[in-house]
Amino acid sequence: MSEKITRRNFLKLTTAGAATAAIMTGCGPSSRYVTREPYVKMPEYTYNGLSTYYATTCRECAAGCGIIVRTMQGRAIKVEGNPQNPINLGKTCARGQATLHGLYNPDRVENPVRQGRSAPQLSTAQVSWDEAIQTVSDALSKTNASEVAFLMGTAPDHLFDLVSDLTDAIGAPAPLRFSALSMFEARATLSKAAEDLLGQAGLPFFDISNADVVVSFGANFLETWLSPVAYTRSYAKMRRSRPRTRGYMVHFETQMSQTAAKADEWIPLLPGTEGLVALALGKLVAQLRGISAPRAFASVNVQQVVETSGVSMEQLTRVAELIAESHAPIAIPGGQALGQSNGLAAAEAILALNALVDNFGQPGGVSLSPLAPNAGAHHRPANAQEMSDLVAKMKSGKIKVLFIHGVNPLFELPQSFGFAEALHATPTVISFATFPDETALASDYIFPDHHGLESWGYQRSQTGVMQSVLSGSQPVVAPNYNTRATADVFIEAARLAGGKFVQALPFADEVEFIQSKIENLIARTDGSFIAPEINAFSAYFQQHGGWWASSAESDSLSAANALGKSLNVSSAAAPIGENEFFFLPFVSPTLGEAGANKPWLQELPDPTTTVMWNTWVAMNPNTAHELGIENDDVVRIVSEAGSVEAPVYKYPAIHPNAVAMPFGQGHTAYGRFAAGRGANPTDVLAPSFNEAGDLAFAGMKVRIEKTGKQQPLSRLESRIGVYGEGMYEEK
Amino acid sequence: MQMTVDLNRVGAKGAIAEAAEGKWGMSIDRDLCTGCQACVAACAMENNISFVGEEDAGYGRTQHWIRIERFWEGAYPNVKIAGGYQPMMCQQCGHAPCEPVCPVFATPHSDAEQLNLQVYNRCIGTRYCANNCPYQARSFNWRDYHTMPERGNMVNGKLVFPLHNQFNPDVTVRRRGVMEKCTFCIQRIHKAQDKAKSEGREVMDGEFAPACAQACPADAITFGRIDHKDSLVSQRSNEGRGVKHLEDLNTLPRVTYLKEG
Repeated sequence: MSEKITRRNFLKLTTAGAATAAIMTGCGPSSRYVTREPYVKMPEYTYNGLSTYYATTCRECAAGCGIIVRTMQGRAIKVEGNPQNPINLGKTCARGQATLHGLYNPDRVENPVRQGRSAPQLSTAQVSWDEAIQTVSDALSKTNASEVAFLMGTAPDHLFDLVSDLTDAIGAPAPLRFSALSMFEARATLSKAAEDLLGQAGLPFFDISNADVVVSFGANFLETWLSPVAYTRSYAKMRRSRPRTRGYMVHFETQMSQTAAKADEWIPLLPGTEGLVALALGKLVAQLRGISAPRAFASVNVQQVVETSGVSMEQLTRVAELIAESHAPIAIPGGQALGQSNGLAAAEAILALNALVDNFGQPGGVSLSPLAPNAGAHHRPANAQEMSDLVAKMKSGKIKVLFIHGVNPLFELPQSFGFAEALHATPTVISFATFPDETALASDYIFPDHHGLESWGYQRSQTGVMQSVLSGSQPVVAPNYNTRATADVFIEAARLAGGKFVQALPFADEVEFIQSKIENLIARTDGSFIAPEINAFSAYFQQHGGWWASSAESDSLSAANALGKSLNVSSAAAPIGENEFFFLPFVSPTLGEAGANKPWLQELPDPTTTVMWNTWVAMNPNTAHELGIENDDVVRIVSEAGSVEAPVYKYPAIHPNAVAMPFGQGHTAYGRFAAGRGANPTDVLAPSFNEAGDLAFAGMKVRIEKTGKQQPLSRLESRIGVYGEGMYEEK
Repeated sequence: MQMTVDLNRVGAKGAIAEAAEGKWGMSIDRDLCTGCQACVAACAMENNISFVGEEDAGYGRTQHWIRIERFWEGAYPNVKIAGGYQPMMCQQCGHAPCEPVCPVFATPHSDAEQLNLQVYNRCIGTRYCANNCPYQARSFNWRDYHTMPERGNMVNGKLVFPLHNQFNPDVTVRRRGVMEKCTFCIQRIHKAQDKAKSEGREVMDGEFAPACAQACPADAITFGRIDHKDSLVSQRSNEGRGVKHLEDLNTLPRVTYLKEG
């Protein structure tokens, strides 16, 4: 080496050499060892693989909102709204979000079991699916068809259709559908009123978004009513989508619900007088508009309404003026107004108020909801009267086999109906429950269905949107446990039974059945997509999360029928005696009817009281003061039908003569997060019905007894200052 | 002559205008918020937030990153919820009171995002930050809630937790002794930024939303760039109904509340 190496070059060379050595070693054996890096980058800053998204339908209630579930490595991670689905347009409610806590609930029925009515424990006597299907098949084929009964929930629709086809073919009574929501919303009453006044049964569509004055009679459409996500969207549009017009909202309800709290005016009234107030408003509006009062409103005495309802003349006049001056007023009948002995008349009076302002079929008015594909009259839920008839039939031994799916009547029906005894009198009870609920544990067998997110299916929209919608479901994850689709169980059982059974359900599996039901949509050219044949159609149906008419429908309705009818509403608010109160059960806005086993729903504070994880009795602070009751004092509510105990929450926005209690807790089973928690207000409800067969649940008279016990309620709000100075001064 | 000082421009530390402007921000329309708790549930599901159970909830240990507040006004029958329901979460302050009190720099301010970060693996649980937050937006992990034995099932002698299947792999699962708070769904911000970068463009307005805004059925929550004047969130924030909470503390909150009416 002749060249002289300078110090600088020497350093360069050695550095390069060291680097080369390092690179070379990188290819050598040491690369087999994983370098342990300090935890400096949190997952929020890294890529952790790609997600797969599946469109399906939410099953937490029957509204049929489209959802898109984010999955990763076969696990469902997050529920997001399907932006294409016309019902919810990409939005979800809290119950939809928490549906994953149902899917991954630690208390699911993991295997088919011979339960043997061994409540309160879930039986460990596992049976094979072959035995299970044989059991169902025998129950179907070896029982007289008239002695088989099917009791189902309001979701999913495809299973209801399958069972309807089966019962039609074998001559069994049509399946009954029931849910506590439909009971508390008095859907049968609303449907009957629509039939009487609009000419078609079903749930009408209330176009809140285009109304400028909304008068709600206890319709809690921002909580659980009919299609809450759709109506919440409508509410937002009503408030802020139009330049210079902000819709005005008046809410008549005995206690301030979450929805009432969003009204510009909340007007408390006695339960059972909603129909009278509607008639009085109609008469006043007719006067203000200078037209002679139509027959429907002629007979009402406004002064008497003021006396019975507790709504002042000034309030009535002001609301009437609002309606009279409005371009697009709308009146909405809610569950609390209709679940009364005079409920049907009240519903008709409220719909007639819409007829008076001539909004039938108009933007911002009342319309008939377009029928979803394949919808028929028998799809409506059963009213309480029909449930009571079923109970009577079961008690008299006329039902030998009862199949139950998607409903928990031991919890959802009032105790006074006697469903427990009815179950006892039924020789064979087969449940298809996903969760170990009260009814499932009191059954002979539980053959668990998949969770909704593991299932195929479809759901029809009932109302909430002026488009015909069929929301489609597909599994977003493989089944977690040894469960099987109930539709498949029936199809297999029918095959085993042979004859008319297999003729009714000649399908290879559930998917083939669903395809047979949506096949008729291929010919429709007005839909959200067009496909030449069933396989392509099914693929699109899965991809988009359903099928819907691409444009809104409109209908022409005549108001004459509604206005010409003579309406006579008597007050259902019977005078109350000393220490008697009107009892107002309402569906918990956060839990709904079946949310109690989802821990994050339990931890959501109630929007108005902020109570979590429990049941409370809402009582006016002045009333509580008079009775010497403080917050968290446990009281016993006693009616002719039964009693229930819960701690008091002093609620500043409730009529002094009424107490309210949320429905959703009070489970004795249904998993660790639900069982033994809170109380069930249906325990004090007596089986009395209105003319449409719905339960007259609102405003029942109860007594309140002190128990001397205390139970602190967990609430989000600070206790400091809530009832201190500035709010209620102790008198 | 009286001088008015624009606190958005001149802060206690002499914040420069750019810092005061921020980057990501939110507007919440209290006229639209129906108090339905969809955002609370969506936030919990997205961010692996643990529920704490009835007793701890009663002690005020809930982990909600977003909560719906309501304040009563008046007495029966003229009682109402003053100003409507109010969702409250970390306001991602430009001058965050929580930041300077952390002895271990677990609540630094991100220059890139103009957000308050929470570094879980630095946090030693002094709770000074929560003590100093005027919005009470921070929550502390008092226990290892996710792995409480009563939430799992014994399967072949081993405790398994079915609920863990739902965890979002993009978000840290926090343990006991760690402070946490709303992050504006920073994992979603990063995903959207990376996607835009790979496609050689800027993140578009409305391209993504945090879990709360995405779920909100009334569209009360709007998220986006508050430093872009034409973004939807800027337009809504500046339409005249906007107020910022506790602005007089000079926290420079990035959330604008739109008044009712």
